[in-house]
Amino acid sequence: MMAHRPGWFARISAGVVALYLLLPISIIIPVSMTDQRFLSLPKQGLSLQHYVTVLFSPEWLGSIWQSFLIALAATGLAVVSGTLCAIGCWRLARRSTDLLRALMLLPIIIPSIVYAIGAYRYFAGLDLLDRFLGVALAHGVTGIPYVVITVSTALAAFDPRLEQAARGMGASLSQTLRWVILPRIMPGILSGGIFAFIHSWDELVIVLFIASRDVFTLPRRIWDGINENLDPAMAAVAVLLVVFTTGLLLLDLALRRRRAE
Amino acid sequence: MSAAGHALALRGLSKRYGSFTAVADVSLEVGQGEFLTLLGPSGSGKTTILMCIAGFVEPSEGAILLDGRDITALPPERRDFGMVFQGYALFPHMTVAENVAFPLRVRKMGAAEREAKVRAALDLVQLAAFAERRPSQLSGGQQQRVALARALVFEPALLLLDEPLSALDKKLRAELQDELKALHRRIGRTFVNVTHDQEEALSLSDRVAILNHGRLIQQGAPAELYEAPRTRFVADFLGKSNFLAGTVQEAFAGGFAIGAGATRVVTAAAAPPALGSRALLSLRPEKMALLAEGETAENTVQGVIAGWSYLGAGYALNVETPDFGTLRVTLPTWNAPIAPREGLAVRLGWRAAASVPVLDDLDQDRAA
Amino acid sequence: MRRQDAGWWLLILPAFLLMTAFYVAPIAQVLAISFTEPAPGLGNYERLFTSESVQRVIVTTLRICILTTAISLLLGYVLSYRIALAGAAAQRWWILAVLVPLWISVLVRAFAWVTLLRRQGLVNETLIATGIITEPLALVWNEFGIVVGMVHYMVPYAVLPMLASMREIDPRLLAAARGLGASRITIFAKIFLPLSMPGLLAAGVLVFIFSLGFYITPALLGGGKTLMVAEWIGLQILDLLRWGLGTMMATMLVVAILATLAIFARIVDLRRIFGGGGA
Repeated sequence: MMAHRPGWFARISAGVVALYLLLPISIIIPVSMTDQRFLSLPKQGLSLQHYVTVLFSPEWLGSIWQSFLIALAATGLAVVSGTLCAIGCWRLARRSTDLLRALMLLPIIIPSIVYAIGAYRYFAGLDLLDRFLGVALAHGVTGIPYVVITVSTALAAFDPRLEQAARGMGASLSQTLRWVILPRIMPGILSGGIFAFIHSWDELVIVLFIASRDVFTLPRRIWDGINENLDPAMAAVAVLLVVFTTGLLLLDLALRRRRAE
Repeated sequence: MSAAGHALALRGLSKRYGSFTAVADVSLEVGQGEFLTLLGPSGSGKTTILMCIAGFVEPSEGAILLDGRDITALPPERRDFGMVFQGYALFPHMTVAENVAFPLRVRKMGAAEREAKVRAALDLVQLAAFAERRPSQLSGGQQQRVALARALVFEPALLLLDEPLSALDKKLRAELQDELKALHRRIGRTFVNVTHDQEEALSLSDRVAILNHGRLIQQGAPAELYEAPRTRFVADFLGKSNFLAGTVQEAFAGGFAIGAGATRVVTAAAAPPALGSRALLSLRPEKMALLAEGETAENTVQGVIAGWSYLGAGYALNVETPDFGTLRVTLPTWNAPIAPREGLAVRLGWRAAASVPVLDDLDQDRAA
Repeated sequence: MRRQDAGWWLLILPAFLLMTAFYVAPIAQVLAISFTEPAPGLGNYERLFTSESVQRVIVTTLRICILTTAISLLLGYVLSYRIALAGAAAQRWWILAVLVPLWISVLVRAFAWVTLLRRQGLVNETLIATGIITEPLALVWNEFGIVVGMVHYMVPYAVLPMLASMREIDPRLLAAARGLGASRITIFAKIFLPLSMPGLLAAGVLVFIFSLGFYITPALLGGGKTLMVAEWIGLQILDLLRWGLGTMMATMLVVAILATLAIFARIVDLRRIFGGGGA
């Protein structure tokens, strides 16, 4: 029996939608290599001068480094607490833990703006405004849902009898975790970590409210750039970001493929 | 390995999930070095009982004792029981040797001693050559033996087996049954096995406990259960049985007689029931014979062959009788007195002791 | 609680404490402020009925969200249909084409749209150069720009649940219908569309609630003239210091989202939206 394939109308319109999704993102690549001093397509030839500007600018490099450190700290927080929580909920599996898991998903349901203004006020009282720790905490707790989702997915494929077998043979909870559960769900944890990292790395709304001068992340600098001076260096930054994110996604894809095997 | 069997006792064990009762007031003793099988259909509570013994399920009531010591509150990792799980639960990310070494690693045993024990355990199940393979590279039977080695390597007080052979095909199952039995003899430990397969239960066990709807219906040696089932359920679940229903007409020393229509059937029993009460007799298909002209037996019944089939080792006949409906009769092929054919009139005969009085299922609750 | 389970509850504890102390508490404070500042009572909520500017923001937000949801569903459906019926190898590439935009920074995407759509942008320059128009079109820093940018952001989110439900459709059904003589359009209308409806609904809920609280894209592509609630809330807090009004609107936003979820929980499996999938 021949498979049912899409007709010409579906093929063409899907192609148009795909172009709509990908073209604007790819257009920044030639724009970033323009030989002009303003935002445009290259006229006479390609130039890497705007990449040089970015990569030798202490402001951009400082923001990239700061964003990287914050994302690293936030990812650590989200991965450790999110993984343990997902494992606990999975093992206990009852109404109350279902509710707890729903609680952990709140950060992707409630808009960042609501949390951002809340954190703005709340963190002021804790002296966490414009602090590395404050941003890392905020990004960490809002990154938990990504870890909880991917780890829960990985656990769904985990045979609960393996855990019972380990306990039955005398393994303590921490031995069972270290030797049996964690090695089996590691791809899911890494996946969650990648998403939590991208979440923090790209996050802007919260940062706009709880950081100002001392903490000036990469998205914050791009935001100012778009609002104040639209120059080709912005396009270069954008391309670097796209390359970085795509790289992380491909890494995740490779991990998933390995898990499937 | 040292032969140190331990005795286990369940006292009034119950487990309820909300309003559902999975296990109801089960008391049981397992002697040192005994092989006990919990047998029952799915949902009979046998697995729940095993999980209570292992410590994975907390009983709602009752106590579990090991050599007289109450272990009900002990978490599974402190019970020192070996367990073979349904589907084996081998760790897929570890090699066979690492799987078997797991319980020793947990106990922080030194590397040299650990290696020696793992080798001995793998030798025991004849898998020494497969130490470096992963479980996924082994056949079902080999996986089962790895699970056994892993459960025995730390010399547990008790070995628990949850449907250990159910994932294997029929032929392999028979082979491993023999191996398991031999292993039990060799190491002399106490085994508690759970299965729904009555043949496995009969062939492996020193003693079988039959469960239904969470209740312990009857326990005893396999032959005892088969020859003297106490209830209709036991007779039906262990092997096949015909049931003859009638009214008690006469009682005498060591037995009584029931009547149904024009037929009278005598049976052996220590304590005959009251005259005029209803009674049910269980009669195994292989315990009847086809009587030749003029031959007599303690019980006889007339009938007509309504259908038959050839099973290789024997014939199975369905004999239509006026008072007991269709009776199933099996005859060994090699000395069958007749060639069966539909419509043939036959006379069935059997000894009084072959028809065993049993309680009907309605009475089962009272019996248990 | 069972004794033996204590250890497992302990595993949940860190996430629970972090979440309560640093996520739930700030949000609870937002709800509290809306009733207490500037004066205790329901004063802020009265503005929903009396203030024209508050009402205008709500109407604008709903209009843009409904438009965004409708267009995203349409485009997403076309894409999912194409992907679901593609061969296995082609599917992988298509899915990558959906996932890459999904995870690329919303800022980068807004920036790309500004580059394309502004007065001296690539679209206007091209159109002028080819002589189709003489004056640049106003393509960005208005509602049009917002919708273009938001739809661009939302299409991947619409595709994921729709594709999941289309993949559950047994391809033999379609082949069988064809074998029975049904036309392409009949197969689509009578079989494919009804069977993919759960995914369509789930996608609709997801896109709508994500659109409601959207901040960055409307702020960058709206140019400050068309205000949606998120930007409006930010404005109240950061520039006008009207905490009561800002938190009231934030509360309404949360209520609207939870209400939408509660209503649709009856007809849509929420697990389709937030469950398993991961990416």
